[in-house]
Amino acid sequence: MADMLSTGVSGLLAFQRALDTTSHNIANASTPGYSRQLVTLATQGADQAGNGWVGRGVQVTTIQRAFDSTLSDQVRTATASYQQFDTFAGFAARIDNLFSDSSTGLSNTLQQFMNAAQTVADSPTSTAARQVLLSQAQSLATRLKGYNTSLDTLAGQVGTQLSSEAASVSSLSQSIADLNRQIVRAQGGNQQPPNDLLDQRDHLIDQLSQQIGVRTVVQDDGSVNVYIGSGQALVTGSTAATLSTTPDSFDSTLQHLSLQQNGVGVDVTSLISGGTIGGLLQFRSTMLDGARNALGRVAVAVGTLFNDQHASGLDLNGQFGGQFFSIGDVRTLPSTSNAGSAAVSVTRGDIAGLTTANYKLQYDGSAWSLTRMDTGASVALSGSGTAADPFVADGLQIVVAGSAQAGDRFQIQPTSQAVSGFGVLISDPAKIAAAAPLVTSASATNTGSEAISDASVTSQATWVRGTYTLAFDSTGGWNITDSSNATVASGSSYTAGSAITFNGMSVSLSGTPASGDSFTINATGNVPGDNRNALALAGVLGQGVLSGGSTSIQSAVGQFISGIGVQTNQAQYGRDAQQVVKDDATSQFDNISGVNLDEEAANMVRYQQAYQAAAKVISMANTLFQTLLDATRA
Amino acid sequence: MSIRISTSAMHDLAVTAMLRQQAALSTIQNQVASGKRVQTPADDPVAAAQLYELSRTQSQVEQFNKNSAAATGRLQLEEQGLADAGTVLQRVRELVVQANTATLTDSDRKSIVTELQSRIGELQDIANRKDSSSDYLFAGYSAATQPFVRGNGGAMGYFGDAGVRQIQINAAQYVHDGDAGSAVFMDIAAGNGVYTAAAAAANTGSGVLDPGSVVDRSQWVPDNYTISFTSTSTWQVIDSSSNIVASGNYTAGGAIAFRGVQLRVSGAPAAGDQFSVQAAGTEDVFATLDHVVTALQAGANNDTTRARLASALNGSLQQIDQASDHLLSVRASVGARLSLLSDSDSARESQSTDLATAVSGLQDLDYTTAISKMSQQYVSLQAAQQSYASTSKLSLFNYL
Repeated sequence: MADMLSTGVSGLLAFQRALDTTSHNIANASTPGYSRQLVTLATQGADQAGNGWVGRGVQVTTIQRAFDSTLSDQVRTATASYQQFDTFAGFAARIDNLFSDSSTGLSNTLQQFMNAAQTVADSPTSTAARQVLLSQAQSLATRLKGYNTSLDTLAGQVGTQLSSEAASVSSLSQSIADLNRQIVRAQGGNQQPPNDLLDQRDHLIDQLSQQIGVRTVVQDDGSVNVYIGSGQALVTGSTAATLSTTPDSFDSTLQHLSLQQNGVGVDVTSLISGGTIGGLLQFRSTMLDGARNALGRVAVAVGTLFNDQHASGLDLNGQFGGQFFSIGDVRTLPSTSNAGSAAVSVTRGDIAGLTTANYKLQYDGSAWSLTRMDTGASVALSGSGTAADPFVADGLQIVVAGSAQAGDRFQIQPTSQAVSGFGVLISDPAKIAAAAPLVTSASATNTGSEAISDASVTSQATWVRGTYTLAFDSTGGWNITDSSNATVASGSSYTAGSAITFNGMSVSLSGTPASGDSFTINATGNVPGDNRNALALAGVLGQGVLSGGSTSIQSAVGQFISGIGVQTNQAQYGRDAQQVVKDDATSQFDNISGVNLDEEAANMVRYQQAYQAAAKVISMANTLFQTLLDATRA
Repeated sequence: MSIRISTSAMHDLAVTAMLRQQAALSTIQNQVASGKRVQTPADDPVAAAQLYELSRTQSQVEQFNKNSAAATGRLQLEEQGLADAGTVLQRVRELVVQANTATLTDSDRKSIVTELQSRIGELQDIANRKDSSSDYLFAGYSAATQPFVRGNGGAMGYFGDAGVRQIQINAAQYVHDGDAGSAVFMDIAAGNGVYTAAAAAANTGSGVLDPGSVVDRSQWVPDNYTISFTSTSTWQVIDSSSNIVASGNYTAGGAIAFRGVQLRVSGAPAAGDQFSVQAAGTEDVFATLDHVVTALQAGANNDTTRARLASALNGSLQQIDQASDHLLSVRASVGARLSLLSDSDSARESQSTDLATAVSGLQDLDYTTAISKMSQQYVSLQAAQQSYASTSKLSLFNYL
C-alpha cells in the first residue's frame, strides 16, 4: 500500500545515502588509489490500485566505484615500463658520470703514460724521467682500479636493491592475497562490491607494478590473480608466492630472483621485465658487465703489449726488462651443480681475439662447447683441450683436466678481473728497459751495397754479450769474431736477407756485401743512452691490436666511452618517452575514477535539494493528515 | 579531451609540468654555468668520444713539443761543439802553414808543437763534452762511457758506439738528436777522399810531394800505387801487382798523371825515391793532428828531411781540410735538423690551435642560444606557476 509518508521517507533515506557517498568522495578526493563512488538509485516498486500502479518511492540499489579495468591495466603496464627505464637511466647516468671529464679521462691518462715513455726516450739516462714513467704507470693503474671500484660499488648496490625490492614484492603480494580474502568474504555476504577494499587492493597492485611488470586476471568471486614474468603466479586468490634472491650457480655473489611457492623455487631472473627490478636486471646484464669487461680488456691490452715490448729491452743495468705490469687472470667459475670432477684453467692467448663478453663452457657427455653469454652465439673451439693442445677460441686457451659429467658447465670471464689484478711491478727507475740490446754499425770503408737490416736477440737465455765483428772475404764467405778475435760463426756464402744466427742473436743484411766489408755488432748491453725500446714502448698504444688487429687501444677506449654515452642517452630518451605514456594513461584513468570537487559540490546541492523536497513531502503528508483530522473534528 | 577531470589529477598535472620546466631550466643553467654543452658522454656520445680523442691528441702534441725542445737543446750543444772544433782546426791549419815555412828552425817548430799539442787536447775535450743530463754528446748510446781516450800506444781510441737516438716530434716524424762520435771525429775520409799520397820514409832526395787531385773520376781504379823514380829524371807508376801503369820524364813541379789522378813533385828526388798513392780509407782527426806533431818533432835540418817534412805537411794540410769539410757537413746536417725541428714546432703550434678550435666547437656552449633558451624556459616556468596559482583557487565550494 503506497502512501505518501513512506514514499517521502524512502526519498529521505536514499538521498541521505547519496549525501553520505558524496561526502565520502569529497573526503577522499586526495586519497591515493581512491575511486569515486556513485550511488545507483531505482524505484522501489509499485502497488496496484484499481486505476493503475502507484510507485512506492526510491531505493539505493548499489554503491559502485567508477573504475575502468582496461585503463587501470594500461596505467600499470606504463608504470612498469617507465620504472624500468627510470631505474636503468639512473644507474647508467652514474657510469656516464664516471667518464664525464675528457681532460682527466681514461684516454688522457693513457696518453700521459705514453708521454712519460716519450720523456724517457728523450733522455734515457735521466732518473727523473724514468721516475715520471713509473708514477704515470701507477696513476694509470690507480685510474683503472678507481673505475673498477666504482663499477663494483654499483654492482653491490644493484644486488642490495634487488634483495630489498624482492622483499617488498613479497610483502605486497601477501597484502594483496589478504585483501583478496577479505573481498571474497565481504562480497559473499550481500553481493555488494566492497569498494574501499577493492581500491586498496588495486592500489597495492599499482605499487607492485612500480617494482615489477604484472598482469592481472579478475576472478568471479571478486579476487584478482597476479602474474609476473611470462605467467608465473605471484598471487592466486588468497595465496601469495614469495620472491627472493638466490645466488647465481656460477658466481655466488651475483643475485638471481627465485619465485617460491609451496617450497618450490623457480628461477625467474631471465623472465622478469618491467619495474625497478626489470631495470636493475637490465642494467646489470647489458651495461655493467660490459663496462667492466671492456675496461678489463683495455687493461689486458695495455699490460700485455707493454710487457712484451719491455721484456725485449735492456734496463740501465744492462739486464733484460722483466714484466712491467701485473694483470689479473681469467676468471673461471664452475657451476655449483657440476657432478663431474673436471677442472678448467683458462689463460689468455692472442689479445686480438679477446672480446668483452663472458662465456659458458658446457659438456654434453661427449664434447665441450663454448657459448657467448651476451649474444648466446656458439663459439667454435679448436684444439683438444689438453695442456699440450688447449682449446683455442676468442683469444683464450682452455685446458680441461679431470672427467666431466654431461651437463657440467663453467663460466669463463676473460677480462672481468684484469683490472683488479692490474699493478706496476717495477719500482726501481733503473729497471725500466729503455735500450735495445744490439747496436750495429757498418765500417766506414765498406764498398758493397749492403746494410744491416735487422739485428735482434733471439734467445735471451743463450745470449752471449760482447763486441762482435762480421767480416766478408773475397770469396763471398763471412765470419764473425768476438773481441778476442776468436771466430764464433762463419759461412762460405751469404744470401741477402737471410739471417745469421750466433750466440743467441740474429743479424740479417740487405744488399750484396763486397770483399773486405765489415760490421760491428755491439752486444755489450752497456748502452744507457739508447732510447730505442723506450720509443717502441711509447708507440704501443697506437698499434691496431684489438678486435682482430683492427682497433688500437686508444680507439677501443673511444668506442667504450661513446658506447656508454649511447646507452645512457637511449635510456634517458626512453624514460622521457615512457613518462609521457605513463602520464597519459594515468590522466585517462583519473578522468574516470578521480574525484572532481566541483562535480561533488554540484551533487551535494542536488542531493540536498532532493532531500529537502522529500522532507517537504513528509511535511505535506502531515498537513494532509491534519487537514483530514481537522475536517473530521468539526 | 575528457569532459571531466579529477581535481587531484589537475593538481598533479600542474605540478608535473612545473617540475619538468624546472628540470629543463636547471639543465640549461648548468650548461651556462660551466660553459660546456657536453657535460657527460650521454649528452652527445659521438662528440664525447671525439673530445676524448682530441684531448688525448692535445696531450700528445704537448709531449712532442717537449721532445722537440729536448732534441733542440742537444743539437744546439752539438752545433756549438762542432763550431768550436772547427775553430780549433782552423788554428791548427794556420800553425801547419806556419810550420811549413822553409826558414823555420827546429826550435821554432818545437814551440809550434807545444801549441799544437794543447789544441789537440782542446779538441779531445770538445769530443768528450756532455749534455745537460751529463750524457756524453758524442758517445752514441754508450752515454756513460767517455768516448775519446788515448790507448797505450798513444793513439786515440773511440769507446762509444755508432748508435744515434731518434726523437719523435710528430705522429710519424722522427729526428736524430745527435751524431755518434765515430761518425763525427773518426770516420773522416783520408786524403782527398779518393786516395792518400805520401812520401816514403826512406827517400833520400829532396823531392816534395804535392798530393794533387782527381782529374777524371771515371779513370780511377782503387788500388795501392807507387810512384818510383827510376832515375833523377824519370818516374814510373806501378800498381799493387807490380804492373807499370804510367811512366814519364821528371821535370820539377811537373804533373805526374795516371788513372785519372794528377800529382806534382817538386825539388830534386833521388833515384829510388818513392811516393805512395793509396786508395783512400779513413783517418780520424786526432791521427791527422798526431801525424803533424810526429812530422814536426822529427826535425828537418837538411834538404832530404826538409823535403820529407814538406811532403808530410802538405799531406796533413789536405787531411786537415778534409776534416774541416767533414765537420762542416756534419754541422750543416745538424743545422738542417734544427730547422726541421723549428718547422715542426710551428706546424704543431697551428695543430694545437686547430685542436683547441675543434674542442671548443664540440664542447663549448653557444651562449646566445643557450641564454635565450634559458630565458624562454624561465618565462614558461613562471607562466606555469601563475596559471596554477590562479586556477587552483577556483572551486564551486567558494560559492556555497
